[in-house]
Amino acid sequence: MSETRITRKDALVYGGAAAGGLVAGGAVVAGLAVAVDQSKSPPALVGEPITAPYVSGALPVDDPTAGAWNDAQRVLVPLVAQQFVPPFLEKAQLAEIQVRALHNGEVLAFLVEWDDENVDDLDGIRRYHDAVAVQLPARTGSTPPALTMGAPGSPVHILQWRATWQRDIDSGGKTGVDQIYPEVVHDVMPDDVLPPDAAQLYWVGREAGNPLSQVFRTTPVEEVVAEGFGSATHLSSQTAVGRGVHEGGGWHVAVAVPSARARVGDPLAPGTSWPVAFAVWLGSGENRGGRKHIADWQTLVLEEKA
Amino acid sequence: MAKVRNWQLGRDMDYPYAAARPKRQFTMIMDTNKCIACQSCTIACKSTWTWGKGQEFMLWNNIETKPYGFYPTGWDVNILELLGEQEWDGDVYAGQTIFEAAPEGERVLGWAPAEEDWSHPNIGEDEPTGNAEDTTYVPDTPHSMMWMYYLQRICNHCTYPACVAACPREAIYKRPEDGIVLVDQTRCRGYQECLTACPYKKTMFNLETRVSEKCIGCYPKLEQGLQTQCTTSCIGRLRLTNYLSAPDEVDPRKPADFLVHIRKIALPIYPQLGLEPNVYYIPPVHVPTKFLTQMFGPGVEAAVEMYRNAKDDPELLGLLMLFGATERIMDTWDVSDGVARAYDEEGEEIVAVPLREPTFVRSFEFATDVAGTPTTAYRHNT
Repeated sequence: MSETRITRKDALVYGGAAAGGLVAGGAVVAGLAVAVDQSKSPPALVGEPITAPYVSGALPVDDPTAGAWNDAQRVLVPLVAQQFVPPFLEKAQLAEIQVRALHNGEVLAFLVEWDDENVDDLDGIRRYHDAVAVQLPARTGSTPPALTMGAPGSPVHILQWRATWQRDIDSGGKTGVDQIYPEVVHDVMPDDVLPPDAAQLYWVGREAGNPLSQVFRTTPVEEVVAEGFGSATHLSSQTAVGRGVHEGGGWHVAVAVPSARARVGDPLAPGTSWPVAFAVWLGSGENRGGRKHIADWQTLVLEEKA
Repeated sequence: MAKVRNWQLGRDMDYPYAAARPKRQFTMIMDTNKCIACQSCTIACKSTWTWGKGQEFMLWNNIETKPYGFYPTGWDVNILELLGEQEWDGDVYAGQTIFEAAPEGERVLGWAPAEEDWSHPNIGEDEPTGNAEDTTYVPDTPHSMMWMYYLQRICNHCTYPACVAACPREAIYKRPEDGIVLVDQTRCRGYQECLTACPYKKTMFNLETRVSEKCIGCYPKLEQGLQTQCTTSCIGRLRLTNYLSAPDEVDPRKPADFLVHIRKIALPIYPQLGLEPNVYYIPPVHVPTKFLTQMFGPGVEAAVEMYRNAKDDPELLGLLMLFGATERIMDTWDVSDGVARAYDEEGEEIVAVPLREPTFVRSFEFATDVAGTPTTAYRHNT
C-alpha cells in the first residue's frame, strides 16, 4: 500500500492538487482492537492525513469487515464534546475514532470504527441511537467551512449513518413499538383494519414524507447539505451507501458516496485533498442532534491513479 | 436572547426569539370547578388524533388529580424543584423564568421524562391530601382540611413556547393566524429537545415515525369555526375554545378577553415559568390559596372571589352558561332578559341559553286510585 501525509498547512488549499513533496510513512502507535483483521494492516496513525489510496474495481462499501480495507492506513481521530452551540454534550464519552478511506475514481468510501459496548439501534422515549457522520466541504476553497456544519454561503456535505436505519434495513422495517416493547399488547390499530394507504395517514411523519420516519429504506446513510447547525437538508437525490456492523465491542461503519457529487458541489477527484470532519453519537449516552462528539477538520488526500 | 414582553409576569423577559404575536391567539378557558374527571375529553382527543401505532402512551389531552396526579409523572413538581424557590413582587414576577435560568450549554432549563413517566396517566387519581382518618366520614371532623381537584391539560400553545426555543432545527412554529403551536412533521429529526424543554410536557415522541407530535388545537375544526374535540365532548361544559387578543388590544366584547383581562377570573398555569401559556383556568374555590398561587399566580384570591360572586354578575354568569352550549366558536355574547346569547363574527346568533332553567315542582304525594280505592301515592313509588 502507499502512504502519504501532508501537513495541515498543505491542506489549506483543498480540492486542487494535493501539495507536493508528500512525506512517506507515518507515526507509529500501538495497534487497537478492530474487527478487520489487522495482521496485514500497520498500526493507526495519529495526527496524520487520512489518505485514500486509489483502488481499481469495486470498493467494499457494504462490508466494513472486508480485508480490502487493509489497503488503507488507519488514522486515529480524536473527538471532543460538541460545545460550540447549545445544546451541548456535557462531557465526552468517547475519545477517538479510527478512520480509513478508499477510492476508485468513481466512489469515495470511509470506514469509521469506534468502541461502544452498547448497541443502540431503536428510537424511543428518551432512547437514542448510535450514529456517525462524515462532513466534507461542498465546494473547493482556500479555507474550510465552519466546523459547525458550515455557515450561510459556505455549505458542507454530510453523510450520516444511523444504527436505527441499519436495523431498518437488516430487519425489513421492524423497528417500532413491537421491537421497543417486545411484550406489547395492542388494541386494534389503524393498520389492522384499514387499507395501507389509509392506515398510513395515522403515521403522520411518514405520510408527510419525513425521511427519518421511513422504515423501508435502501441505504442506512443519509446525505444532507447544511449551512450551519440546525440547517441539515435532506437531498432529494440520495446517492450515499454504506453498512454498519457491531462486532468486538464496537461499531464498524462503511460510508460511501459517488465522487462526482453532481447535486452537491465539486467532485472529489483523484489527486485532490479535502478537509474532512466527523461526528459520533452514542445512544446510551443520550447523544442526539447537537449533543454529539465531534472531530476537528482532518485532511483527506485522494491519491492519484497509480 | 431577545427581550420580550410577558404580560403574565408584568415585565420583560429573555427569550431566544423576538416577540411575534399572532393575529389572534387560540385559547381555552377551563372551569376547574366543574370537572368530574370523566375523561370524555381525553377519549375524544385520543380517538380523533392519537390512536395510531406508536402513539399508545400519548394523551394530548389529559385530566389529572391535583396535587398528586401527573402525566407524565412529576411533570410540574420536577420543574418547580429545578427552578427553585422564586418570588412574586405583587403582580410582577421577581424570579427567574426557565429561559433566564437555563444552564450554560442549554437553551432552556428542563428535564427529560423517562419512558415509565409516561406510563401512568392516572397516577394519583382521586387521591386527596390527607388520610382516611381525616375524612368527613369521621364524625368528629365534619369540615376536613382535605382537598383535591381535577386539572384539565392540553398544550398551552404558549406565546413564548419552550419547545420552539429548544428545537435546534426550528421545526416547531406558531401559526401567525391563530398562534397554534405545531411540529413540522417533515422537518423534525427526532432529537426530543422539545420533550426536555416543555415544562408542561405536552410534546411527545411517536415511536413509529420517530418524530415529535403534540396537540394541534384541533385546527381543522377551528378553521371551520368549530370548537375543539375536547371542548365539545365535555359533559361538564367546563371548556371554552376561543381567541385571545394581544394584551394591548383587549376587547371586552370578546369572551376570552373578558374572562382573562377584564374579570380576571381565568388564570394562566405556572406563569412564573415564563412561557405565557394560553390555556386559562378558573381556579378551584375550595383549595388553599397558597397552593393555587403557586400554580396560577398572584391573581388567585381575586379570581376565586369573582367566581363566588358570579351569580350577581349577569354578564359573567351568562358567559359561563354559554360554555358547552354550542359547537361553534363564539365571537361575542350578550345577556338580556335572563337569556345569554352567543354571536358569530357576522353578528348572527349562534345559541341562546337561559341564565335560569325553567322549573316545575311536582308534589311529593298525589291522589290516585288503586283497584277502585282512592289512595295517596308517593313519587318514589311510581
